[in-house]
Amino acid sequence: MRPENYEAIKQPPSNEFELNFGPNHPGIEGNYAFRVKLNGDEVLSARADAGYLHRGFEKLMEGRLWIQNIALVPRICVPDPVPMEVCYSLAIEELCGLEIPERAQWLRVMQLEMSRLAAHLFAFGGHAATTGMYTPMFWGVADRDLILDRFEELTGGRVYSIYNIPGGVRRDMPDGFLDRLGALLDYLDSRLPDYDSLFFRNQVFIRRARDVGAMTQEQALKWGVTGPNLRATGLAFDVRRDDPYLAYEKIDFDVVTQPGGDALSRNLVRRAELKQSIRILRQVIKHLPSVKGAVRCPIPNPLAWNVPAGETYTRVESSKGELAYYVVSNGGDKPYRVHVRGPSSMHAVQVLEKLAVGSRLEDIAQIMFSLDACPPEVDR
Amino acid sequence: MNELDKIPVRQEISVAQGSVKRSNPLANVFDELVRFCQSRSMFMLHYCTGCGAIELPPAMTSRFDMERLGIQPMVTPRQADILLITGYVSVKTLKRIILTYEQMPAPKYVIGICSCTVNGGMYWQSYATAKVLKEYLPVDIYIAGCMPRPEAVISGLRDLMGDIKSGSASNWKRYFQNYDHYLGNQQKLFDEDWQTPTDIIAEAEHYGLITDQTLGEHTALLQKHQQPLEALEFSLGEKREKIRGENQ
Amino acid sequence: MSKELNLWLDDLLKDIKIIQFKRKNSRRVRIDIAPEALPALLELLQGRASYVHLSAISCVDWIEENEFELVYHVWSYETNSLVSAHTRISREPGVYLSVYDLYTPAAFFERDIHEMFGVYFEGSPDMEKFILTEWNGPPPMRKDFDSEAFVNQTFNWEEYHPQWLKDIEAEGGGITTRPEDVR
Repeated sequence: MRPENYEAIKQPPSNEFELNFGPNHPGIEGNYAFRVKLNGDEVLSARADAGYLHRGFEKLMEGRLWIQNIALVPRICVPDPVPMEVCYSLAIEELCGLEIPERAQWLRVMQLEMSRLAAHLFAFGGHAATTGMYTPMFWGVADRDLILDRFEELTGGRVYSIYNIPGGVRRDMPDGFLDRLGALLDYLDSRLPDYDSLFFRNQVFIRRARDVGAMTQEQALKWGVTGPNLRATGLAFDVRRDDPYLAYEKIDFDVVTQPGGDALSRNLVRRAELKQSIRILRQVIKHLPSVKGAVRCPIPNPLAWNVPAGETYTRVESSKGELAYYVVSNGGDKPYRVHVRGPSSMHAVQVLEKLAVGSRLEDIAQIMFSLDACPPEVDR
Repeated sequence: MNELDKIPVRQEISVAQGSVKRSNPLANVFDELVRFCQSRSMFMLHYCTGCGAIELPPAMTSRFDMERLGIQPMVTPRQADILLITGYVSVKTLKRIILTYEQMPAPKYVIGICSCTVNGGMYWQSYATAKVLKEYLPVDIYIAGCMPRPEAVISGLRDLMGDIKSGSASNWKRYFQNYDHYLGNQQKLFDEDWQTPTDIIAEAEHYGLITDQTLGEHTALLQKHQQPLEALEFSLGEKREKIRGENQ
Repeated sequence: MSKELNLWLDDLLKDIKIIQFKRKNSRRVRIDIAPEALPALLELLQGRASYVHLSAISCVDWIEENEFELVYHVWSYETNSLVSAHTRISREPGVYLSVYDLYTPAAFFERDIHEMFGVYFEGSPDMEKFILTEWNGPPPMRKDFDSEAFVNQTFNWEEYHPQWLKDIEAEGGGITTRPEDVR
């Protein structure tokens, strides 16, 4: 194929272009693509093209033991892996009727909030980079690394911890872990004003992100938007509060909302959630030493574990939105069917296709990062 | 192919002239200097092909800071030296990787990060991922692990720097020398009529890397499915007038 | 308010004869319904009982019964409860009605199910390939597609036979595979 044979050359001259936006593009989060129709630099239509990260997780999980899949699930969403493990473990526990010890519940809450902090730091860093500001990205990624250090101390793994198993968590915390976590929280708390003055109250960012990718609350509800993106349209809904799991009922936190529904509001919601996550973690640190006991309940031999037949739909709130697993067992040692409902499967496909129309080409990256879309959740 | 013959190719700017006898005694010193410079300014293509890419931002930013070694992300394949394959490659991505790789200017290096590029990793049962990366592209260095830490990535890149400096990192030549083999594997996985916009055979001629392994049955298949060159339609003026007429 | 609404809904749904109603706990309801009546049920849930959020559509391939099970998970932001509506369609033509006119997110899930299971949804806006554009085989999530056999047939494996393994083998050891694991 030679350039002379490209179709575009034979077209009449016009101001309309069709571009491949991604997969090899710095403005795309992960490995994902769009076909964009443009008039000048105004987007006429955008069409998502996914599947670059498709591994067939749901098929793979049908071929492996229940316990083996614990190592597989965190790979579905790379920046925020812990909710995947927790959600899958919750599903198995519900099928088996296992009651996990209270200490394990608090340990899971701790990991979930640490993971949310890390993911939000990563997300705002990425969004800053799309607006041409690289310093917030450097700060966000460097501070996220400190959280990964705590993960490494707790679990042995930096990114994929594989710390949760059905029935609890693998082992208890190392000595003095909570002190070091507390010191990290103090540091992160002291960093928040810096982030504000550098990024969230920066006029460059505010003027760039205001009214970009805006949606109303009705649109958000209609399109199936969840998580921080829904809260940025003014609806106070959080799976942690309204469909509580683990120890979230005993924890005091606010569900933050913003009225705008645009890229700016979505970022401000994430900024406020950093504060709330730190608040939750402080409560965990205060409460955890008083909860004594085992960190996991007895489970049968995991290599010959026949989970009773049944089906369950478990949901958790990940940093991107509502994450759900539909797990079906036919009483065998492997899952009969696992369906993963990643929050980004809405955000990165339908919502982005709709929000991109009418915006400018350079804003597509901003909209994608402000929605915090995670392509592997779409592809699975 | 005939059209390309008319384009004058200047052989003397080619990089791969190791076999040619040099008259200038300083030539080897100059080569060494070039290799030293190449090893200290590596531009890494910004393409997250898999989950290992999550460890690249920490490696590039202030904590581990790859830029102190002269490694920088680069947004376009036309200006990149290194292609990092970060993790599993689904068949759909592999097509884009090959397109990208062929567009990069030589000398170019491929690094396979994560266990999945070696032998499929934990996705060995998956119908969607290609298993052994080096069947489709010549790989210079593998960095195993799931996923390798930023230190491991930097250590692997330092190994590659050493190889470039000593001149032993020449796997990119194998792609031209054994093009038929690589193309055969690609055709087996994708389809018989798999085509890329880059003319590898002409490039191999340009670099002086044509061997008896470059052309073969698979490249014959490639040329069979290639669309023949057509004369361009020369109707631009008419249409422009037509559009002008519509505007008035 | 939300409690009353839930009780009212329970009473209403228990009265309808063609469906099986089961409350699992205070926030989860399971309904089994015939495929003809499912769109009407969803319309009722969305229009009259504030179940506006379609969380997911899951498909399960019950190959022994020769049926696909479709599960519609809908969530109400007002009563904070989730209804899972189960229905079964025949596996052979594998055709069903789209609920895109009720729930916009259905487009993604229906497209996904069409791609992975080969179920066609009439009235869905887009049934094109999305994730598996480079895939020519059968719908991979069906139970009769054997991923492992496909992989062994299509891909080669890296040979790994290092010196330390050769040394062990020279002494009479080596890697063995249990008879039941031999494929």
